[in-house]
Amino acid sequence: MPSQVGQVKANAAKILWRWAPLSILILVVLSIPWIVSPLWIRIVTEVLMWAGLAQSWNIIGGYTGYLCFGHGAFFGLGAYITGITMMHLGWPFGVGLLISGILSALLAMIIGYPTLRLRGAYFAIATWAFGEMVRQVATILDDVTGGPVGLQLHPFLNLPYFYYVMLGVTGLTYLTTYLLLDRARFGYKVLAIREHEEAAEMVGVDTVTIKVKAFALSAFFPGIFGGVFAYWVTYIHPDSVLGAQLTDFMVVMAFLGGIGSLWGPLFGAIVVQLVQRILWLVWGEGTFYLIIIGAAICAVVLFIPNGLIGLMESRFLSPREAVSQLKKTFKW
Amino acid sequence: MILQSNDLVKSFGGVTAINHLSLTVEKGTVFGIIGPNGSGKTTFFNLVTGMYPPTSGTVTFNGRNITGLRPHRIAELGIGRTFQIPAPFTKMTLLENVMVSTFIRASSLKESRKMAWEILELMRLDDKGNTLVANVTLEDRKRLELARALGTHPTLLLLDEVMSGLTPAEVKGAIELIRSLRTEELTIIVVEHIMDVILSLCDRIAVLDYGQKIAEDLPDHIVNNKDVIKAYLGERYSARN
Amino acid sequence: MELFLQTIIDGLLIGGLIIVVGIGFSLCFGVMHIVDFAVGEWVMLGAYTGYIMVRYFGHDPMIYLPIIFLIFCGVGWMIYPLIYRAVSGKRHNPVIMGLVFTFGISIMAKGGALFIWGFHLHSITTWLSGKSISLGFAMVPSLRFSGFIFGILVTILFMTFLYKTKLGITIRATAQDRDTANLLGTDVRKVGALVYSLYAGVTGMSGVLIGTLFSIHAAMGAKYCTLAFFVVVLAGMGYVPGVILAAFILGLLQSFVGVYLGGRYNQIALFIVMYGVLLITPKGILRRGI
Repeated sequence: MPSQVGQVKANAAKILWRWAPLSILILVVLSIPWIVSPLWIRIVTEVLMWAGLAQSWNIIGGYTGYLCFGHGAFFGLGAYITGITMMHLGWPFGVGLLISGILSALLAMIIGYPTLRLRGAYFAIATWAFGEMVRQVATILDDVTGGPVGLQLHPFLNLPYFYYVMLGVTGLTYLTTYLLLDRARFGYKVLAIREHEEAAEMVGVDTVTIKVKAFALSAFFPGIFGGVFAYWVTYIHPDSVLGAQLTDFMVVMAFLGGIGSLWGPLFGAIVVQLVQRILWLVWGEGTFYLIIIGAAICAVVLFIPNGLIGLMESRFLSPREAVSQLKKTFKW
Repeated sequence: MILQSNDLVKSFGGVTAINHLSLTVEKGTVFGIIGPNGSGKTTFFNLVTGMYPPTSGTVTFNGRNITGLRPHRIAELGIGRTFQIPAPFTKMTLLENVMVSTFIRASSLKESRKMAWEILELMRLDDKGNTLVANVTLEDRKRLELARALGTHPTLLLLDEVMSGLTPAEVKGAIELIRSLRTEELTIIVVEHIMDVILSLCDRIAVLDYGQKIAEDLPDHIVNNKDVIKAYLGERYSARN
Repeated sequence: MELFLQTIIDGLLIGGLIIVVGIGFSLCFGVMHIVDFAVGEWVMLGAYTGYIMVRYFGHDPMIYLPIIFLIFCGVGWMIYPLIYRAVSGKRHNPVIMGLVFTFGISIMAKGGALFIWGFHLHSITTWLSGKSISLGFAMVPSLRFSGFIFGILVTILFMTFLYKTKLGITIRATAQDRDTANLLGTDVRKVGALVYSLYAGVTGMSGVLIGTLFSIHAAMGAKYCTLAFFVVVLAGMGYVPGVILAAFILGLLQSFVGVYLGGRYNQIALFIVMYGVLLITPKGILRRGI
């Protein structure tokens, strides 16, 4: 009958309307290597990596509330492990990646157990010290890691390959975060720990185990990202994979985007990378963007502690309100 | 006998907060603990729930030595408590707050949700179930404290000054609520300041002073106990009676 | 034997200078519960400021010490309201927010320095450079000795200020119990601003001296951040007298590791000790921290 056909047509249109934007986005993302120049493939691959790294940090920093200032160590560790297994042991890339992830998570569990007992600022300092320590160790163990000279891997130039690998790992990171932290009991427990650790313990949450698990999870992905990075750029050394700037970026991106939210880190990564690229274009490859990044962090802490995501959810300050807020800050 | 503390001692540096305290609480009763500020009431709760270990002495629950166990284990075993100053999970909803406490009893998220709704209904907070704690009044937060403690399905419930900060009308409501919770399965220990509340609710009362038990008896006897009157109630109350 | 004594002397000399970096930092945490992640950057900026002044106005850098102190005090005074605001937000953990805020400042400072001066190394020379005093069994480089004297002087002044002046007592009271101090009429915000300015001034000043001893570069902040953290963790966060002991321990540790194990192991030894202390006695080795 005519009305039934019309109904079916209307339903089909509705479904198409709802899913179209998302499908197009997915299609675009999947076909990047075929539709953009090599430069852009590299840029997008890097953005993906940072989006994944920022999210990993977010797991322990944003969701659990334990700000880790040495997280880059897991990335560097992964890079070196993959490099060493591929070069010194001759094992395939995939195996190297897996081992990198697992060993990173294991290390996180080992140092997490004593370190997560420290609160707030102490945890930040301890993890910062840990990060620096790992870098020093890598510099010293030169027969294994190549020391300050670095480690060279087999060259393998295949941009689309690395794009898809990075896309896969980042996707895995976000999917895992979504499933375990937004949708499962684990996530509720983690948030409870962040909000009031003592009370959480009192209502039956095994805070020690949950914290250590969260930390291990947050270290697993950077380990893998490090491995991918190592093979992608072919040459690594302590400053490139274990430098402080790695943790700095992770923290900045997560904060800017919105800590504790699922999409915040992605936003943060895109914005920060964009700012960096634009500034490089305008001012030449310099370090001016660092000033902007630092200022951004300060601004986020002062005005939008919930990041850009939080900004979208709450109302904007009118210029008048903003001025009066500023006045209040400097009034005695 | 559901709870027993044996010669419990707790010192913090130079201060002895609990000084050789031995108490026994019978199953299914409402037991009251009163005493002036600093007499060790909250410290006692903290020791029972495992927040910190005692300097010496033991705590036995249902015949089992629970001294030194971690709080989450003790919660699993069946002891729940409320905090004097509510400690909710601020950025979560009331429902989510209670859900977390049911995790040790429920086998799935769905079941947790169901249990949590039931408790919220019992506490008459179901209309605010999906509101963030940050947006809710103090009285509601106190009720949420209780709801969350109930979420662990305790057999022993420790209530730490739930009446503080409530208006007389709210106090009446709270007394009714606690009365309604009484069953053979649930033992309640109440720490309070307000004499009338304690006297009307409890089957037995212990009086603490400087970390020691100076009396333990039926409510009527406690009121007439000379040591208690001297230490806590003051001359005027005894004169009234 | 001579080497041993020389190592001790070197360690003590450095320790004296390090006290300065740790003392302000410790007070900052003690009074305002702020962990200033940018402490290393204050040192770096102080060093660069000294460098600029010498380059454009000549004379010995030591002359500029008081001026630099005032400049940095001023800068600290201006920045403090923002820090106060970051730490006073009701939404999140204030200590963490302060940490992240100062983290942002340190990135800005480092980026700015890199942008202006690039990756090159600089240094400042003074009339004391290259000279040394002989003690018979050991040599005392004049410059290091002056750094040591500087450290001792600053410590004496600081302690006198904190324990003997009205303002100092007010500051210590605020550190111990902010709310009560508030109730007793102390303008807690002004106290905080004063402390932060003092801290910035003193730390900036120490940068000049450090600039004469070691090379100046935009990324040097991390090293002094490490030293400040180490000193304060050992001393106990917020416990100012402990800083003196901790600074000397640090100096000796660095000296001995450098001489007997090799310079490469310096940082690692530092981190291992710091980490160990954090895990075993988080309130510092004297257990007087916050």
